[in-house]
Amino acid sequence: MLHGLGVQQAMEKTRAMPSLYLIRTVCQQITRGLTGLALALLLAGQTHAQSVDQDATILLVAHPAVATQWLNRDTTRAIFAMRQRTWPDGDAVQVFVLPNRDPVHARFTKEQLAVYPHQLQLAWDRMVFSGMGQAPNRVADQFEMREKIANTPGALGYLEREYLDENVQVISME
Amino acid sequence: MKMSKLFQWNEHFSVTRRPTAAVLTSLLALPVYSSAWANDNVLDTLQVHGFLSQALIITNDNDFFGRSSENAGSLEYTEIGVNASIRPHRNVLVAAQVLSRRAGGETSDAAPTLDYGVVDYQMVSNQQRTLGLQLGRFKNPFGLYNQTRDVAFTRPSILLPQSIYFDRTRSLGIAGDGASIYHEERTPSGVFRFQAGVGKTRIEGDVDQALGFNRFPGSLQAGSSAIGQIRYEDNSGHFLMALSTASANADYEGAQAPLTNGSFQFQPWVFSLQYNDELWSLTSEYALRTIELDGFNPAIDNKKTGESWYVQYTRRMDNDWQWLIRFDRLVNDRSDRSGTQYAQSGLGPAHSQFADDVTFGVQWTPRPNLMLAGEYHHVDGTGWLPLPKDTDASETSRHWNMLLFQLSLRF
Repeated sequence: MLHGLGVQQAMEKTRAMPSLYLIRTVCQQITRGLTGLALALLLAGQTHAQSVDQDATILLVAHPAVATQWLNRDTTRAIFAMRQRTWPDGDAVQVFVLPNRDPVHARFTKEQLAVYPHQLQLAWDRMVFSGMGQAPNRVADQFEMREKIANTPGALGYLEREYLDENVQVISME
Repeated sequence: MKMSKLFQWNEHFSVTRRPTAAVLTSLLALPVYSSAWANDNVLDTLQVHGFLSQALIITNDNDFFGRSSENAGSLEYTEIGVNASIRPHRNVLVAAQVLSRRAGGETSDAAPTLDYGVVDYQMVSNQQRTLGLQLGRFKNPFGLYNQTRDVAFTRPSILLPQSIYFDRTRSLGIAGDGASIYHEERTPSGVFRFQAGVGKTRIEGDVDQALGFNRFPGSLQAGSSAIGQIRYEDNSGHFLMALSTASANADYEGAQAPLTNGSFQFQPWVFSLQYNDELWSLTSEYALRTIELDGFNPAIDNKKTGESWYVQYTRRMDNDWQWLIRFDRLVNDRSDRSGTQYAQSGLGPAHSQFADDVTFGVQWTPRPNLMLAGEYHHVDGTGWLPLPKDTDASETSRHWNMLLFQLSLRF
C-alpha cells in the first residue's frame, strides 16, 4: 500500500517536474517505504517475542471428560510419581510424559512439581521394580502428547500454551 | 457423568473382543461402590519390564561373589528380573516379578524365584492422602534402597553400601509374605509417607550360614515378621528423611546337641537422610541391628547389637555421567568394636567383626536402557564379606581392594 501510493505520487509528479526532481522524489519515497517496512518488521518481531514468552508457560492438561478441574501440587506430584493411580474423584488416571531429556519435561518437573527429572525417573524405577506402581506412558513430543491426551480417557499430561487446542482440558494447579 | 461412564463401560462389555479382559475384570473387580467402573481397556494397562546386570569383580585378596581374587576375576554376579503389572480395576494393581540372581555361591542359586507378587488396592485416593493395601509377597521398605536393591538402575553404585545392604542375611529383610498398608499424607509442611507390613519371614540358606548353623542338621523355620517405615519429604522436594524398623523371627529345630531347639530374632533400625540438588545428592544412613539367639543353651544364647553407617556424595556431570564417593562403616558388636574380645574368645579373627569401606564409583548411561559402571573399594575388615561354605574366616586378609565393572540393561 505504502509503496503503491508512493509510486503513484511519483508518476503524477513526473509529468510536471524536471527529471532531477523526479529521481530525488523516487529516492525519498523508497527510503520512506523501507523505513516503514523495517519498522513494521521490528514491531512484528517484538510482538512475536512477547507471544513466545507467553507460550513458554507449561500447563497441566487432561482428557476433556475428566471431571477434576484443579489439583494441588502435592497430589500432582504423587500422580506424576505414579504413587497415586486415580483422580481425586476416583476415576483412573493415565499419566503421559515427554522423554527425560526433553527441555519441556525438565522445566515441567522443576517448575511445576519441584522435582528434578532424575529424581522422577528414580521414583518410577522404584515403583516399577518393587510392585508398588507402573511406569508412565511415554510420548515423543508435544504433538503426540496432545493427541494421546485428547483420545485417552483419564489422561493427564502437560503442554506449552501454544500447543493447546479445544480437544484437551487445562487443569489448574495451586 | 457417572451415568455416561457406566454406559460406556457396559457398551464396552457388550462389544468387547477381549473376553479374557472382561472375565479378569469381573473376577478382580472389588465391590467398592455401585458406580465402580473398570478401565475401558484392561489389557491396555498391562506393562512388562525387566532388567539384566552382569558384573566383573576383581579383588587382590579375599573372594567376593565368586573367585574374584584368582585369574581375571569373577563373573558370578548376575541379576536378571522380569515383571508384569496390570490394572484390572481403577484402584487395583496386580504386579509380580521373577528374579534370577547369582552372587557367588552355587550355580543353583540363580534359579528364578518370585521376588514379589501382590494385589494392591488403593482404597483412598484424593487431594489430601492416598491409602492402600498390598496382599501377597511384598518388598520391605527398609532404608532408601531395599525395595529395589537388585536393580542396578536404582542403585547409585554397583554395590549398595554393604554395612546396611549386606548380602549375608539378605533373604531375611527383602520381602515378606502377608499384608502391608501404605499411607501418604500431604500437609502444608511436607509429605509424610507411612508403610507397615506383617507376614511370614523369608528365610533361605544364607541365614543358616551367617549364623554358622549350616554345619548342623537342624533348620530354621520362618516365623513372623513385621516392618514399618515413616518417610518425610519437604515441599521443595530437596530433603528426604526416613525411619525404618523391622523384626524377623525364626525358630530353630535342631536335632543334635549342642544346637537344639531355640529361636532367632533380627531387629534392625535405620535412619535415612538425603538432600537432592539438581547436580548432586548427599545421602547418609545409620543403622542399629540387634540379633538375638534365645532358648538354645547358655553357651549359644546371646544378644548382639551391630552398628552401620555411611555418608555418600553423588555428583551428576551432565545427562550421561555420574560419580560417587562414599565412606561406609560396619561394626558387628557395639560392645566389641575392634573385635578384640571376639578374637580372644577364639571365635575367629578380630577383623571379621568390622569393615570400613572407601568407595569411588562412576556410572555412564549413554542410553536410558543401558548403563555401564565401574568402581573401586578399599576395605579394612571383612565384617560383611560373605564366606563361601568351605572357607575359614582366619584365611581372609584384613586389608583388601576390589574393582568392579558392570553392564546393565533394562526395558
